[in-house]
Amino acid sequence: MEKRAIFSNRLLPYLLLAPQLAITLIFFYWPAAQAVKQSFFIEDAFGTTSTFVGFENYRTLLADPYYFKSMGTTLVFAAAVTALSLSLALLLATQADKSLRGAGLYRTLLIWPYAVAPAVAGVLWLFLFQPGLGLAARQLQRLGVDWNPLLNGAQAMTLVTLAAAWKQISYNFLFFLAGLQSIPKSLIEAAAIDGARPARRFWTIVFPLLSPTTFFLIVVNIVYVFFDTFGVIDAVTGGGPAKATETLVYKVFSDGRLGGDLGGSAAQSVILMLIVIALTSVQFRYVERKVTY
Amino acid sequence: MAGVLLDNVAKIYPGGVNAVRGVSFAVPDGGLCVLVGPSGCGKSTLLRMVAGLETVTSGAISIGARVVNDIEPMARDIAMVFQNYALYPHMSVYDNMAYGLRNLKTPEPEISARVRDAARILELSDEMLKRKPRALSGGQRQRVAMGRAIVRKPAVFLFDEPLSNLDAKLRVQMRVEIRRLQRRLKTTALYVTHDQLEAMTLADMLVVMNAGRVEQVGAPLELYERPATTFVAGFLGSPPMNFLNGKIEAQGLARMENGEALAYDAGHFGPPIGADIIAGVRPERTSFAAGEDGLAFKLELVEELGLGRLVHGRVGAAPYAVALPPGAPLPPGETARLAIAAGDVHLFDGKSGVRL
Repeated sequence: MEKRAIFSNRLLPYLLLAPQLAITLIFFYWPAAQAVKQSFFIEDAFGTTSTFVGFENYRTLLADPYYFKSMGTTLVFAAAVTALSLSLALLLATQADKSLRGAGLYRTLLIWPYAVAPAVAGVLWLFLFQPGLGLAARQLQRLGVDWNPLLNGAQAMTLVTLAAAWKQISYNFLFFLAGLQSIPKSLIEAAAIDGARPARRFWTIVFPLLSPTTFFLIVVNIVYVFFDTFGVIDAVTGGGPAKATETLVYKVFSDGRLGGDLGGSAAQSVILMLIVIALTSVQFRYVERKVTY
Repeated sequence: MAGVLLDNVAKIYPGGVNAVRGVSFAVPDGGLCVLVGPSGCGKSTLLRMVAGLETVTSGAISIGARVVNDIEPMARDIAMVFQNYALYPHMSVYDNMAYGLRNLKTPEPEISARVRDAARILELSDEMLKRKPRALSGGQRQRVAMGRAIVRKPAVFLFDEPLSNLDAKLRVQMRVEIRRLQRRLKTTALYVTHDQLEAMTLADMLVVMNAGRVEQVGAPLELYERPATTFVAGFLGSPPMNFLNGKIEAQGLARMENGEALAYDAGHFGPPIGADIIAGVRPERTSFAAGEDGLAFKLELVEELGLGRLVHGRVGAAPYAVALPPGAPLPPGETARLAIAAGDVHLFDGKSGVRL
């Protein structure tokens, strides 16, 4: 049954909602509206005048090969981070789900990385893999790998992928563990009696039953990679070398803040906003009412 | 086809809980053995050990001629029906039933034939085979779980309280179906339940368990007629057997706590005079006496069951129930005398509760 509060004063409910609405309006809708507005203007180099140009900023953007390169970089980055963090988290979760001694401690330790700020995580990985300085980098060079993410774009991408995925493993781990624990034990036992070996039990019973969790995590991880990895990229590579790790969000920053192209940057923000809206609606539509298996 | 043999089987959990303490019995090939007892008596643990889902701490479990202690569940040639059915929710009914056969790499045409055969036996329509389990009613899910067990033609069926999630009416119906099916397939079965009525009606062989031990093994009626302990006597039968404390006064005569005498069949090895005893009498073997002989009974409550009436009251301080056939007259007042035939009195040791 839905609970309905009855207010004697008709204004009271609006008053109670007002603080939250004010915060949302000032900190979310106002900047968003500003960005939309700005995307139709071009500012002069000193920021003193701005000229209305209609869709000019968008036209320039969609004709810019760098924009599509950045889009491609983002997609590769998103796919790599999501695949890596999900598969590692699932592996760890299946291990933590076993009744082992010290399972509680193991789980707690696995959750810790989530509490590390993205920039700190980035710096951590940066130090580890800094050529000539980092512990891991030295090992790689000793093994004969020509490791230099400062020059090699693919290696830089690998590094930010590792850093971004590492941050996300904890979160994915928690959800996978909860998902695993909600699968009735008797199903696994029934499958064992039905002659399925552990690997087959996992792929034919456990994995399909986890699909709602997996789907939810894929969406959340893509959103994370698209929008929350700015700190990691800024700390590790700054978008380089040669824009090899410049994702869409990072490009907004480098074009607008560093390049001074506020209008073009605003247009990029608006496109990103549309992507968030699309992803969120996918999530609400499918995740909220659960994936049917 | 194989019998099941348990030889001094025990289970101690890592925490030190001794769930099963030295259980031995043999289920003959094709027999339906029901393990019954209150919750926590170790019956489910025992079944799970036979299934291979729990390790055996000591003793040996054999299926057929083979000791299976260290054999994986899948290699034991068993099928199990779980209390919550444990149907795979993401597979259709057909795939649920075919899963075990597919794991054995059975050719698809044979799988199809066997699944359809099982579906026919269990009266599951073709349309139902295409559905997902959650689109089925409780009784239909129960049938699918049974179907999944029978398609593999295992040597032994294991049932873990399969009917407890069903409503009372369906439970009676499914009980009959399980019995019929097991007779027809002649497959050895172990069946765990806490419901004594289910146990009595299903079993060829009844194993009553209490606190990890076997109290008594035998045919249902044998256990009902000659319970080995007060526990068995009190567990089987509804309403349960009445118990009255007393002392042996003479061969064939006990003096009860309320000071009145109760006659019993002395038999060949009657307990010594002066021994503390517990006398057990079934409610349905008690009636009201016309005269002034018999134990004094104080009437408290009458339950009308339709099938008869149940009169609750007390003998001295002890509760006592009398089951009367329908329409039998009630005693006129608040007090009455009980008519109990000497042959209907069970005698148990006053301390250990073992039959004398």
